[in-house]
Amino acid sequence: MASSAGFARTLCRLGYRFSVCRQCQRQVPNLSKISRFAVSARLYSEQRSTHFGFETVPEDEKTEKVYKVFQNVAQKYDVMNDAMSLGIHRLWKDTLLQLASPTPGSLLLDVAGGTGDISFRFLDYIRYRQDREARRDTLSRQSASWQEITEAYQRGQPGMQGGVQAVVCDINKEMLKVGRQRAADRGYGTGLSWVVGNAEELPFDNDKFDFYTIAFGIRNVTHINQALQEARRVLKPGGRFLCLEFSRVSNPLLSRVYDAYSFQLIPVLGEVIAGDWKSYQYLVESIRRFPDQEEFKAMIEDAGFFKVQFHNLTGGVVAIHSGFKL
Amino acid sequence: MAALLRALRIGQALRGLRAAQRSQCDEVKRTFQTAAVLRRVADDPKQEQVPPYSSSFHQNYQSMHPESESSRPNTSYADQHGEQAEDYETEEQLQIRMLTAALEFVPKHGWSVEAIAEGAQMLGLSPAAAGMFSNGAGDLIQHFVAQCNSNLSENLAEQHKLVQLGQTEPKKTDEFLRDAVEARLRMLIPYIEIWPQAMSILLLPHNIPESLKHLSTLVDDIWYYAGDRSTDLNWYTRRAALTGIYNTTELVMVQDSSPDFEETWKFLENRVSDVMNMANTAKQVQSTGEAVVQGIIGAAITLKNLTGINQRR
Repeated sequence: MASSAGFARTLCRLGYRFSVCRQCQRQVPNLSKISRFAVSARLYSEQRSTHFGFETVPEDEKTEKVYKVFQNVAQKYDVMNDAMSLGIHRLWKDTLLQLASPTPGSLLLDVAGGTGDISFRFLDYIRYRQDREARRDTLSRQSASWQEITEAYQRGQPGMQGGVQAVVCDINKEMLKVGRQRAADRGYGTGLSWVVGNAEELPFDNDKFDFYTIAFGIRNVTHINQALQEARRVLKPGGRFLCLEFSRVSNPLLSRVYDAYSFQLIPVLGEVIAGDWKSYQYLVESIRRFPDQEEFKAMIEDAGFFKVQFHNLTGGVVAIHSGFKL
Repeated sequence: MAALLRALRIGQALRGLRAAQRSQCDEVKRTFQTAAVLRRVADDPKQEQVPPYSSSFHQNYQSMHPESESSRPNTSYADQHGEQAEDYETEEQLQIRMLTAALEFVPKHGWSVEAIAEGAQMLGLSPAAAGMFSNGAGDLIQHFVAQCNSNLSENLAEQHKLVQLGQTEPKKTDEFLRDAVEARLRMLIPYIEIWPQAMSILLLPHNIPESLKHLSTLVDDIWYYAGDRSTDLNWYTRRAALTGIYNTTELVMVQDSSPDFEETWKFLENRVSDVMNMANTAKQVQSTGEAVVQGIIGAAITLKNLTGINQRR
């Protein structure tokens, strides 16, 4: 004790400033005060760094690197999804839509929705609901006049709801291109709008959308809090934020199986099917770096959403977080 | 040494308390800053009158969001900041407002999430807000039932007050029961066409506990204001009887097509008088039974005397 106190006193005389290390309760020399010149130089050159998978990269670089990843995988994105999740991702996305249960006339913003899976399901759901209502109307109507029947037929046509029902926004043009192609193949022409945009800076006005979904996209965003705030901005009052994302598996046995599968099998599949090992290595690493269910729920609450809940799917492999702008 | 341990423990407790307070403070601050729709509610007496039914209603939502409830009631906020609290309404109050607004659309859409979505739109919210209710139609019906029950309680309490002040005559039990059940069933009249749908939804397994709770509070309230202060088996028999009366009358009402539901009220009158008669009949049966038993014992003793078994030699 005495020796360290003497040492501290010597350093004090040499002009060092001290801060107390919280963990070990020892005094630690505060290095930034050693040389003011070095400090300012460091301030200019040093940026905040963030994680890119298990690497650490400066924040500006992360957006670019993510862009390159998805540029490479865009063409084989859907095939890889099916291969990696054994088709279960379709069930996850179906569950997301069932949780949302949108009513006809709602407007959806699907962020990071490149290839359009969520938006297609959204349109299907609304169409199904409209059909059901039309059927209920015709059943309840005992004897309809010709006028009413023609009106019912007209109402039943898709796309007559008034144009755009879902807006797909993605930062990556390649993914949007693939999405547009799929939409054309499946006949979802009207009712969809494709917009290039960054989740941290959405090119939309305030209070526009009823639903904001982001499926397997938010872990790639550099500043998640900013994305959440933007989500809140563009939602109408009463609008719903839904996030489908990989999350923490709580069961230890399942967790070991899942880890083995992720790190051993998925990059191999990536190499074999898509010819790209590194992108899929990034994918599984980024899943591990994403905060767990409770932490993400706290982040969503911090952004100003109410009634935030999460539902675990497949034992926690995937979680749906939901919040309301009230 | 013991004093040191005690001091440490107290210190830990205080630290925990402060942390809890700080987290509460953060949550309240968060709410205060960012609520867009939750209305600013000045501290008026309306706030304290959280209706009595809401405690069971809130339990549904407490499981989903426990922290917010504990940190947002008006009084605690005012205590923490020691100023006149202009607080925002809680999510639960907004939900109650939405469900009340949704009741208007029930005749058109039935008891369903569509009605709640329309109600939300009427309040200026997006229809997506209807997703707040995980039990959709069930929540709407429970809210309606709870509302009707609390209205009935208020009416009965007022009548009771008038009787206590001596301004009205107290009613006889059967008349009181009849009037109370009739008043409660009349609240269903605006929705009587789709009430069968509501009844069937209330019978779904996940809705049964709550609907039973509402029914039992209703029956308990009616008997309390009817003057029942029994503490024996009567408590159960009376409430069981009234539950039976209420349920059967409700079923009759749903398929009644007479003008102003006259048949239903006649049915109700008959059932109530049945129950009253049964109470008397039970007493009679008991006394008759006792008399019969006494008679048999007397006959047996006489027989024994006659045959000489009792005599001691």
